[in-house]
Amino acid sequence: MARYILRKLLLAIPLIIGVVTIIFFLVELSPGNVADKFFTPDMTPDVRALIVHKYGLDQPMMVRYLLMLKNLATFDFGVSMVQERPVFDVIMQALPNTLLLSTVTLIVIFPTGILLGTLQGVRQGSVSDTGISLTSLFFYSMPSFWLALMLQLLFTLHWHILPTSGLHDTVMYDFMSPTQKLVDRAEHLILPGIAMGLASAAGTARYMRSSLLEVIRQDYIRTARAKGLPERTVIGKHAVRNALLPIITLMGLSLPFLFSGSVLIEYIFAWPGMGRLIVNAIFSQDTPLIIGCFFVFTLVVVAGNLLADIAYAMVDPRIQYD
Amino acid sequence: MYRRVAPSLLALALVTGCTGPTRTTSNDGRPPGGTLVIAEQADIGHLISVVSESAADGDIDSNISFPIVDSDFDCSLKKLPGIAKSWEWSDDGKVLSMTLRDDITFSDGVPVTAKDIKFTYDLIADPKVASPRLSYIERMVPGERPKVIDDTHIEWHFTEAYDRDTQMAHASAVSVLPEHILGKADRATLRGNPYDKDPLATGPFKLASYEPNTRIVLEPNDKFTGPDEYKPHLDRVIFSIIPEYSTRLIELQNGDVDLMQGITVSDADMLREKHPQIRLVRRGWRSMDYVAWNETKPMFQDKRVRKALAMAVDIDDMISKVLTSKTGESYSKRAIGTVTPALCGVYNDQIKPLSYNQEQAKKLLADAGWVDRDGDGFLDKDGKKFEFTLSTNTGNRRRADTAILIQAYLEKIGVRVDIEKQESNTFFDNLRKKDYEAALSGWSAGLFVDPSTIWHSDVTCGPDAAPDCKARKYEFNFVGYSNPEADELMQEGLRTPEPEKSAPIWKHLQQVIYDDQPYLFLWWMDEIVGVSDRFEDTQIDVLSPIDHLYKWRVPADKIKYQTH
Repeated sequence: MARYILRKLLLAIPLIIGVVTIIFFLVELSPGNVADKFFTPDMTPDVRALIVHKYGLDQPMMVRYLLMLKNLATFDFGVSMVQERPVFDVIMQALPNTLLLSTVTLIVIFPTGILLGTLQGVRQGSVSDTGISLTSLFFYSMPSFWLALMLQLLFTLHWHILPTSGLHDTVMYDFMSPTQKLVDRAEHLILPGIAMGLASAAGTARYMRSSLLEVIRQDYIRTARAKGLPERTVIGKHAVRNALLPIITLMGLSLPFLFSGSVLIEYIFAWPGMGRLIVNAIFSQDTPLIIGCFFVFTLVVVAGNLLADIAYAMVDPRIQYD
Repeated sequence: MYRRVAPSLLALALVTGCTGPTRTTSNDGRPPGGTLVIAEQADIGHLISVVSESAADGDIDSNISFPIVDSDFDCSLKKLPGIAKSWEWSDDGKVLSMTLRDDITFSDGVPVTAKDIKFTYDLIADPKVASPRLSYIERMVPGERPKVIDDTHIEWHFTEAYDRDTQMAHASAVSVLPEHILGKADRATLRGNPYDKDPLATGPFKLASYEPNTRIVLEPNDKFTGPDEYKPHLDRVIFSIIPEYSTRLIELQNGDVDLMQGITVSDADMLREKHPQIRLVRRGWRSMDYVAWNETKPMFQDKRVRKALAMAVDIDDMISKVLTSKTGESYSKRAIGTVTPALCGVYNDQIKPLSYNQEQAKKLLADAGWVDRDGDGFLDKDGKKFEFTLSTNTGNRRRADTAILIQAYLEKIGVRVDIEKQESNTFFDNLRKKDYEAALSGWSAGLFVDPSTIWHSDVTCGPDAAPDCKARKYEFNFVGYSNPEADELMQEGLRTPEPEKSAPIWKHLQQVIYDDQPYLFLWWMDEIVGVSDRFEDTQIDVLSPIDHLYKWRVPADKIKYQTH
């Protein structure tokens, strides 16, 4: 197992180099550079020349590429050209917010999805199965930004029972007791969490349903029933556990998306996370920050796959890595 | 089970909704205070004045800093005493002497002196800083920008006299930085200096807290030592950073924010109807739209063609379709140039816009040789059909609609237009390289007159010229406009320091340019600002909706948040 993990980690190195290379040249080849925001009639062109020189953008592209690789090798992400602060610090400011929202989203996606899928699987063909299927498909095919807007219109404008956007209350947060603050923060997570997770929860429910239906037809389930186990044990202990296997892969694969944050959801709910960070970095052509973000994303993809592999081995004794 | 899940979610929402912050509109009898919440589209970039760049930066800076010279806008920038309590010009207009107040301090108690002003301008001049204010010192004498006489007297020495308002702005439109804090700072990473997000205040407000991409809180600066009339009435001003337009609009409607800028005409209609508590204020003529005809392309070189195209498009009708509310209020004015009508002393209101006349347009085109010879419905000349691509940038609904309307008008006179939407960076890059045929774009108004960057014909700096090529200043002449008479007028205008003497020159220039029709000038637009009617003495003008927050008041019975 340890060797397997080590091999996977080593394989990640060329992957990261590949990703970083592609991103670097994509940014390079797109028109303009970080100095372009100073391209306005009331500014002297010297400003752009100074900025270009200051960040070494006047050096040949290959020189800058190799320099970047060299720095990345020592985990030096460099300094953001727009903020003139270390890229690491900038990312660390946004990452916790994204992780918080992602955790809530995960809770919306998996427990909800698994629960609904199980219910459907157990009562295949019933009214509730069809009902949940229809509802799942309805939400699954709904664009998240539209769902977000509808949630805002209903819960904040129409009923005014939940906050519209942000991390916490804009005005009163500073005057709240610790408990009130906690409640306030939780309230602000509800709508973005639902908007971000509902479609995936619906998807997960579909997976879980079909997976469970497959398992239920297996011989060992019939055996379990035949030996007189209560239905609750048959489903809870034997069927669901086995049906969860594909869901674990799904979880591993969804990790990167949760770290990268959802650009649309973060925009709509004014959530200061990674999605907004990367979009702003791309629009301002802040190469070190873009590279830094993608470096983190790639690491998370690798870690997500690895975690899925490990979790697989843990829940399924038949799987062994060497 | 689905039925059980749904109501429980709802119940959770209801319960938590009730335990939220308590808001009351009652008053406890203390002197008026109150909180103003302003929706900002983007986070601040930098608060160190010599590197600040965005509108949000300016919104914060103008409230936490006491200006060297304060300004007001009434047809032109009017200068009022600030740190400089008085000033005078030498006869040749090259030396500006200022007498400074001695009672202004930074919020750490250290007085603001002439040396701090000099330090601030040294930062601007330092190439390591790469300050966007670099143009301020271009025409100042090195070492005497400013010359410090003593703690309260400085002199600005210019290498030449130019437009006096601009000269004054160059010597004052930046907030003073404390030498005792930033004197030893690394100038190459000045933008990343902790002071950038935790600055001292010299003005009516101070920065109380900053949460990146979330909010900025200003509170009255209790160490403010300036004139009493600058002392604020409000307790707190919060800039809430909400990037999405529709979210800002929802928060304005449900009262979570009190002020929102950039409201669209159709949303203004909705607000007027459903939310009478939101006052809609116009800020006049802040930006314009135009179509640039690339004169390096043969078809647009003939003035008659450009004039015909302008006459074929019914701009007034487009205004009524794109920029007019249901109640008939028009939020724009036909443009006749790139000088904003807000500069009323300089704007030429005598120019009569070309009237919509498709017959006349067809005649002009026929004179220029464009006739439908092959009967396909489109004009042709030398075997070539009159067709071109009108490019514009993505993400601007108004321009997208406008492009389609223009396409329809021109098709009626036999000109075929293809519309191409380009990502903004690509679009501006193509404009700069003159790699387009016609482009629907815009300018935002400068409050100083210097049309040369847009219209001067000096093109010695091609795309491959050195980055410091001086004529690069003119690369905003996207259309390749060239008229010796206009060049001459621009030079004369820029050499004339007294605004009252340069105004006739600028007016003449506008006529010359309009006659040439290098652009299809479309319109100047109002910006619509929504503000809660709880606030009084709000000063929302061309300069900025939020420059003078110290004047804003909430009557005691309308205070919404009890924060004490």
